Amino acid sequence: MASELPWDPKTRTLRRDLAEGMMNPACKQALELALGLGQKEGAQVTAITMGPPMAEEILREAIAMGAHRGLLITDPALAGSDTYATSFTLARAIEIFCPDFDLILTGCHTTDSETAQVGPQLAEELGIASAAYVDEVTVEGGTARLRRVSDGFLETLEIDLPCLVTVNTTNRSPRYVPLSGLEDAFGEVNILSVGVADLGIDPALVGADGSPTRIVDVTAPRSGKENVVLTGAPKKIVEELLERFESRISGLIRQDIRKSDAR
Amino acid sequence: MKHKLVRKAVREFAEAELGPIAHDIDRDARFPWEVVEKMRPLNFFGLQVSRDFGGAGLDSISYAIAVEEISRISGAMGLCVTVHNSVGAYPIERFGTEDQKRRFLPRLASGESIGAFCLTEANAGSDASGVETIAVDAGECFVLNGTKIFVTNGGVCSLPLVFAVSDPSDPTGSSCVFVVEKTMPGFSVGEMEDLCGMRANPVSSIFLEDVRVPRENLIGGIGDGTKIALATLDTGRIGIAAQAVGIAQAAFEAAVKYSKERQQFKRPISSFQSIQNMIADMAVSIDAARLLVYRVCAVRDAGGRFGKEAAMAKLYASTICSEVASKAVQIHGGYGYSKEYDVERYFRDAKVTEIYEGTSEIQRMVISRWVLSESM
Repeated sequence: MASELPWDPKTRTLRRDLAEGMMNPACKQALELALGLGQKEGAQVTAITMGPPMAEEILREAIAMGAHRGLLITDPALAGSDTYATSFTLARAIEIFCPDFDLILTGCHTTDSETAQVGPQLAEELGIASAAYVDEVTVEGGTARLRRVSDGFLETLEIDLPCLVTVNTTNRSPRYVPLSGLEDAFGEVNILSVGVADLGIDPALVGADGSPTRIVDVTAPRSGKENVVLTGAPKKIVEELLERFESRISGLIRQDIRKSDAR
Repeated sequence: MKHKLVRKAVREFAEAELGPIAHDIDRDARFPWEVVEKMRPLNFFGLQVSRDFGGAGLDSISYAIAVEEISRISGAMGLCVTVHNSVGAYPIERFGTEDQKRRFLPRLASGESIGAFCLTEANAGSDASGVETIAVDAGECFVLNGTKIFVTNGGVCSLPLVFAVSDPSDPTGSSCVFVVEKTMPGFSVGEMEDLCGMRANPVSSIFLEDVRVPRENLIGGIGDGTKIALATLDTGRIGIAAQAVGIAQAAFEAAVKYSKERQQFKRPISSFQSIQNMIADMAVSIDAARLLVYRVCAVRDAGGRFGKEAAMAKLYASTICSEVASKAVQIHGGYGYSKEYDVERYFRDAKVTEIYEGTSEIQRMVISRWVLSESM
């Protein structure tokens, strides 16, 4: 969570180097969904990550879980990239190394900065349709059918392939890593490591210099909860309680607390 | 990187699937078949079995890490896994014929059948030559009679290895090992032992009454039993040492957490030097034990002789496991003596690591023999 990582006021970035390397939980959900679709549709699954060289570990984990190949985008020139520069870089990599893709699945957001921007921006960069915070995806012919909960309603959407879908963190338990899969992931596996030169990207367009976003400060929101202790005679307490909280409680239980059986 | 991911994968599974039930399966002495079902496709029952026979083909360090991480959550299930892999399946892979490997290893590696190692008897344990179970050569088969005790996985195994002698007047020269099917007439399982620790593992006696075992189930030849037993125990000791490290780690983590939470004299007890000293000693001994375990794994994977290193790792890891668990109880005070807290379980589970797979006294005998013969 953004508030759990210390903020470096000099570079104006989160100290991600202090976090233990792990697959972003929402991305793990996206991978699980991709692997399920891959098995059902006979599709090839490519896991892509952009990060420091140690991010290779995440790709090995993805391959151990069942992905067919991995693409690691790593280059010192990319350090400090904001969501715009990241989406731009990912788009170029996908154009070159996955030109025939049908479906891009991403996590709905990361647990470190939680912007939820990279997925939709990537779709814009690639000029394809997208949908965010999706729970389920099925594919029929050239169409994907999506389900998501939005404003308390269950929505079913149809979207033409190729498209991009960001996957919610609910509803699925990602498969465990089989140990034979891990053994395979360290055998002869297809992990390609590329830098900005391989992607034909001008280094000035990425990294901290190529990033238009400036984060000025990061603060944790103050919790609005407070404990209230009412004192005095019972009748007075009940009256005060109703006066202060009646409308909120009635709203929450969806019936008038004065007429409720729960009285 | 691979070993880090093995630890992560096994830890994730163990915390999620065994974590919520570890306390209850110990209390109820219940073997969690529902978790075993989930462990099967993840290769927990074929950790080092080669890929050709359906295993994961892991190196020894990965194997030790897997056992360590399961044991960190449930010693009893760590025991099930290590015994199945190291002394249930490994002897077949190492000493079995191609035909035997093809018939038995896929069943064991998939976890369809759970393995066991039946050596100990009323008058045989540390002294393997005391085995009285007799295998009479009847041509196409051997007829086995005898009683095995303290068989780990005894209540759930379906493809155990049984040690016997074919000539009681020459127990060493006629020692032999058979793969026995639970379904063979005359094979039966006794009552579960009511043990101090490892209670979720159905340790039991096994009775063999005129069990006719086909000749093709004899591993190695007549007279090879002792050799196979000793080689198997060397490997088994790596697993038990790893198990001891896992239990010690669990006790240590619980003690550190509790020492920061528990307030006495208006400050956390971790601020007292006597507690700090205990924590420092625990940290050092667990690290040293873990390194001894990984060293014997490295020697084994490099193809070297590792009997001495295995005995050293097993002796040290089990010794410190008991010490660490005892200190963890001490740090918890009265709560540590209560079944409400897990350290009480770690304390009970720890003790047996000094006993099975060769007692600490036997490990010292093994180590001193190596040392004295090397220095000649």
